[in-house]
Amino acid sequence: MIATIAMHQFLSLQRQRVLLVMFITMLTVTILAGVLGWSSHHTIVRVYDEAVKILASTGRPAPPNPFLLKPTLSLLSNMVVYIPLIGALLALILGHVSIADDDSIGIGRLVFSRQITRTNYVLGKIVTAAAVLVLLLVASMIVSVGSLVVVNRAITGGDFGRLALFYALSWFYLMVFALIGMIAVLVTRRRSNALLSAMGAWLVITFVYPQFTSGLRPTQSLNPITDPASTSQTFFRISSRLRPFSIVEQYKEASGHILQTAPAEAFAQTIQRVIPIAALALGLLLLTTLLVQRHDFSRSAQSE
Amino acid sequence: MTARRVEQQWNIPAIEFQGLCHSYDTDPVLRDIDLTIEHGEIFGFLGHNGAGKTTAINILTTLIKPTSGSAKVYGFDVVAERQSVTRCIGYLPSEVRMYGHLTAAENLEFFAKLSGVEEPRKAVAETLEYLDCADLANTRVGTFSTGMRQRIGIAQAIVHRPKVLFLDEPTSGLDPLGVRQLRATILRLNHDLGMTVFMNTHLLSEVARVCTSIGVLNHGELIYKDSIEETIRRFPDEASLEEIYVRMEGGV
Repeated sequence: MIATIAMHQFLSLQRQRVLLVMFITMLTVTILAGVLGWSSHHTIVRVYDEAVKILASTGRPAPPNPFLLKPTLSLLSNMVVYIPLIGALLALILGHVSIADDDSIGIGRLVFSRQITRTNYVLGKIVTAAAVLVLLLVASMIVSVGSLVVVNRAITGGDFGRLALFYALSWFYLMVFALIGMIAVLVTRRRSNALLSAMGAWLVITFVYPQFTSGLRPTQSLNPITDPASTSQTFFRISSRLRPFSIVEQYKEASGHILQTAPAEAFAQTIQRVIPIAALALGLLLLTTLLVQRHDFSRSAQSE
Repeated sequence: MTARRVEQQWNIPAIEFQGLCHSYDTDPVLRDIDLTIEHGEIFGFLGHNGAGKTTAINILTTLIKPTSGSAKVYGFDVVAERQSVTRCIGYLPSEVRMYGHLTAAENLEFFAKLSGVEEPRKAVAETLEYLDCADLANTRVGTFSTGMRQRIGIAQAIVHRPKVLFLDEPTSGLDPLGVRQLRATILRLNHDLGMTVFMNTHLLSEVARVCTSIGVLNHGELIYKDSIEETIRRFPDEASLEEIYVRMEGGV
């Protein structure tokens, strides 16, 4: 039954062109990240070449090419921003349409008068969302590898592994938003409210919550400063306690370490950053399953 | 389903309510209903809007659980034996909605698979053929008229050959020709396939022409239940079923 729901959901997403829109958006974003990375590489190399010529004409030695000092995967550093912004929105819509059709137009009544259990139903929906996100990220990874090969002529096994790890982390992160999209449908009465509240959650996670953590002291990330005035100590202490729960920041930092665009840290520390994301994904998975058990699909059609 | 129960299924009532009550929050919708419908009947469940007819169907189709009392379909309790109940039933809601972006055949195949049909594609083709709408198989449901949607709705309800068919206001939105076709289909399903039919309606013309027995629900209470013949015999002064219904409901 899980497979029946999953295959049907996949067909529906395909027919509604949701898959097409998601793939086009994600691949465009990945290509954009690659082009921006290539452009920055090209600019640095051109400037370096010009500098080398000038230095050579004056008889002075040229410093090493700065681009060679940068890690290969830094070309894709923009993906760390695009995934929480655009990827999360796509995942939200994916989760929303997965359940909204059955709920708002009353098909749920037909589905649950059949032999399927609610657990199998929701697992089928989650499996589809997970599989679609895997396909989306694999496609994005292929484009990323292509960009790296075009710019660097080759990609090492280590870089490939890091890239795979980055996309695996991104899958976890996007699953959180797919589940939020589903939960919003199950806790609201109208389809429009469901989408709005899911987007509200995305805004809070991506923009509002980080403002209470690292956003309060933006300069600290550039230039560590001394402790602020003592009157604000309690507030800053609270905000620094909140920081580990900001999944967008944990995602960005973990991604930065995986792609080697952030200062090196122990692998165990990076894993620690992934724990809140994985815990939230698991918690939301359980909540979605519970809400589907309790949801009254018999009244859903009248609510729209 | 045990073998013994399969043997017994024709001897036990198709539908049975015992002291059935249901409330939404604190509003009672069904009050202490006792009702038995035998196998092979076409039962018309009459009542004004909001009387509780759809709630009764929602309970019988396992969509909601009764607040108290019990409801059984062919001896299977709708709460404790949900899987066995859903194997026996087909359901057509009042407003037929399906996946508009999928074809009729794709929709039906999905519902056939959910009902555990072993050869869903074959079952879909046979069902569409039986309902004389094989020509609609490869058309997207989103382009269908109300009448066409209703026919496909019946197809989804019978694709797994249920023993009992629940129809909730089946003629709503249909033109006179559509109503006549639906009536003929209900009679065929009952006669050819031996399906017990439980039909919610407030259209008395349907009941008089199709049903073998009726029940009248008034503000959640079952105020009458008998065969059509007995009903007409019991109310000899009333010229039509409509007048009988109005008298039972206490209206004017």
